[in-house]
Amino acid sequence: MAVKRSTILWAAVVAAAVVLILLWKPTVLVYGVQRAGLYAAVAIPMALVLGIVHIVNLAHGELMMVAAYLAYFVANRLLGLDPFVAMVPVALVMAAFGWLIYKATIKHALKAPELNQLILTFGLAIAFSQIANLAFTSQSFKLSLSYVSASATIGDVSFGVFDFVYVAVAVLLAVGLRLFLQRTRMGKAALAVGQNPRGAAIVGINVDRTYGIIFSIAVGLMGIVGSLFLTKQAIFPGVGGPYTMKSFCLVAMAGVGNIVGVLYCSLALGLSEAVINGIRGYAGWSNIVFFAIIIATILVRSYRERKR
Amino acid sequence: MSTLETRGLTRRFGGLVAVNNVSFSLDRGEILGVIGPNGSGKTTFINLVSGVYLPSSGSIMFKGRDITSDAPHLRARAGIARTFQLIHPLQSLTVRENVMLGFLFSRGMRLRQARVEADTICGSLGLERLDRGVAEITMLETKKMEIARALANNPEILFLDEVMAGLNVDETREMVGLVQSVSRRHNIGVGVVEHVMSVIRDLTHRVIVLENGEIIAAGPYEEVSRNPRVIAAYLGGAA
Amino acid sequence: MRRPLSFLIPLLALAAAALLPLVSGPYPLAVARSVLTYMALAISWDMLLRSGQISFGIAGFFGLGAYAAALSVLRGGMSPILSILFAGVFAGAVALILGLVILRLRAVYFSITTLALAEIFRVIIQNWSDFTGGPEGLVLPKLIFNGESKSLYWLVLAAVVIACAASTMFEKSRIRLALSAIRNNEQSAAASGIGIFKYLLVAFVVSSFIQGIVGGIQLQGYGFASPDAVFDSNYTLLPLAMALLGGIHGTPGPVIGALLLGIAAEFLKLHIPYGHLVVYGIIIVLVILFMPQGLYGLLRSRRHAVAPVAENRVDAGAWGK
Repeated sequence: MAVKRSTILWAAVVAAAVVLILLWKPTVLVYGVQRAGLYAAVAIPMALVLGIVHIVNLAHGELMMVAAYLAYFVANRLLGLDPFVAMVPVALVMAAFGWLIYKATIKHALKAPELNQLILTFGLAIAFSQIANLAFTSQSFKLSLSYVSASATIGDVSFGVFDFVYVAVAVLLAVGLRLFLQRTRMGKAALAVGQNPRGAAIVGINVDRTYGIIFSIAVGLMGIVGSLFLTKQAIFPGVGGPYTMKSFCLVAMAGVGNIVGVLYCSLALGLSEAVINGIRGYAGWSNIVFFAIIIATILVRSYRERKR
Repeated sequence: MSTLETRGLTRRFGGLVAVNNVSFSLDRGEILGVIGPNGSGKTTFINLVSGVYLPSSGSIMFKGRDITSDAPHLRARAGIARTFQLIHPLQSLTVRENVMLGFLFSRGMRLRQARVEADTICGSLGLERLDRGVAEITMLETKKMEIARALANNPEILFLDEVMAGLNVDETREMVGLVQSVSRRHNIGVGVVEHVMSVIRDLTHRVIVLENGEIIAAGPYEEVSRNPRVIAAYLGGAA
Repeated sequence: MRRPLSFLIPLLALAAAALLPLVSGPYPLAVARSVLTYMALAISWDMLLRSGQISFGIAGFFGLGAYAAALSVLRGGMSPILSILFAGVFAGAVALILGLVILRLRAVYFSITTLALAEIFRVIIQNWSDFTGGPEGLVLPKLIFNGESKSLYWLVLAAVVIACAASTMFEKSRIRLALSAIRNNEQSAAASGIGIFKYLLVAFVVSSFIQGIVGGIQLQGYGFASPDAVFDSNYTLLPLAMALLGGIHGTPGPVIGALLLGIAAEFLKLHIPYGHLVVYGIIIVLVILFMPQGLYGLLRSRRHAVAPVAENRVDAGAWGK
């Protein structure tokens, strides 16, 4: 009951915010939603890993960076593929890479204390970004694609529409993963492993393999996200770092294992960031709002947990 | 007024009532058995008294003072000590250092003094070679160390959560004697959670029986063990 | 407990370090200064780690210290030496206030929050241009000791001595027992009367104080601070890797690690201008997988059991289900 009431309350708050923003600056709403789409698309694979493998992967954003470099240098420069086409082979290569990472590193730290895992994936993050630095220097690369500047006009407001791709991908990822986890044999096994690895092992599920597959799926999805990221953004070795932090914050806000919740939280944060960006002279502060809201959420949640 | 008293102590976890309206008292020098089938709320009860959880309702009085919302370390300093069912000794420390903690932090002693006191108390329990890490000691030694750690707090009340688990018959007998002498020598009120009924019979003056978080019987062991409700609870628990 | 050697080695090392400027040329001295800077940070990071809490926010308090020193000189007219002390006190005070809130968090939630805090500090300083100089940063009119390299080196060495002294004090006093107990198991620690929050706060404030001092010295030594320069994530990364490689939960490990990695990094920097830091990432990964006790831990392992980074396992799904 309490859950329902709070859901209604949240819906009311968001609706009120949306109306206010529409009255104030309609484009802010559009950019907020688009931004939310990107955040959610990046965060959802992390939610999958955290929910089932119970690993906080601090190399998450760096994997997106690796995928984007792959899409740029191999797929685009070498083979002349558009990122939308490249995302399929990039996803496959990334999935294989994910499997390798799991087998070579993560697997061996699963039984270790959580803090060892944290430092391990932190080390992986550094290794990935510095390998990119080593190979391509800190120079940034960007594609210039004509379709990313597509725009639409409603009434007297015109805005870019390409970024709605991120929203579509985020929703597809959330819905797709939900269906995968609830409908398929593999997905159900993964859910069981996520909830109780020992119990799952007793009923004959190969826990290690399930972890490996889920990790590899998540990294594969980062292949898709990374390719899409490349369409519009400039890439450089450190580009993924902030996304690791933001993704973790979103996942923590949504609650571990709640993939659809990531969508809502991204929406709330995307909108607040867009609002701050929309105020003249305050654009630089938008990051701080993001982190402040998130720290507050983590704190409130942890306090509530203590009381319960 | 007794040294430790609880009134209407209740703790809910979501929809589950783990401890329900428990009122009990324990005096210095007394040994009380806390029994009941698995999941009847014995460990939760100790966790409430030692402050690991806060109660949903009810109160805890210690030496006439309300300690219901005090932090765990303050209760340890005030004189309520405990051992843990799933023993988690501090594996980065040696046996001696484990025992020194209470002297240092509950009683505020200096390092050198705490070291001497730890050696003394370990000696009285028959614990030796205190420079060993806790990974290197036997189960019996671990249990003794847990008791020494609790005693280091200078407690008036001591809860032992399944301190006999994992010991063989001879070791159990030794521990029973140890607990009795500790209680007598330091005039400590001891609450014993235990599954082995012979231990409860030999050790305790009085018993309370929990089922689904509630006290269903209280009194001397001989009396309680004939109580039909208690027998039903255990049979039901076993079935 | 190892008698004469246990204080002879540090004393000889200190004497050697103090005499270095008299025999070395300017380039080795500059390298040594940078090594010592990271060494002090590595020790301070380890001091908090002994409680089981991982900070990813070293750069945050380092940068805060640098700015506190710069602003106290430029806007407050403080003397350089005093400004360094002020940098430490300011970083410590901020840690105290924030710690009252964030030290309720555990494991990854604490770590990520420290990372976010470093970012928040940076954003505030970058945007509060009127006071902080904004993205372009601040320049001091003149360096401390007029930039004389030997004195600057000794200043950094002093920071290392302070860090070592604080760290040794932690080790030789009840604080070591309290922090180890908290790291191993908080419930057991509390049952022995240990005020967990108090000791976490002490460790957090002291380590932030040291980071602030080092930041202040860095500022006075180079005379320049900008958000990107002083909040550089390398100030988090390098000390962390150094402490892990050398061995955690004690003073000698970070010192050994900083010497090895710091000198190696200088060498690599010369030969691989971009991406030499990859070595740090790989070292972190390898150490965690194959040598979690670090080099000093390996040396000692005959005497003690292996100690992982933190023994108490906190379930990532503990809340939010």
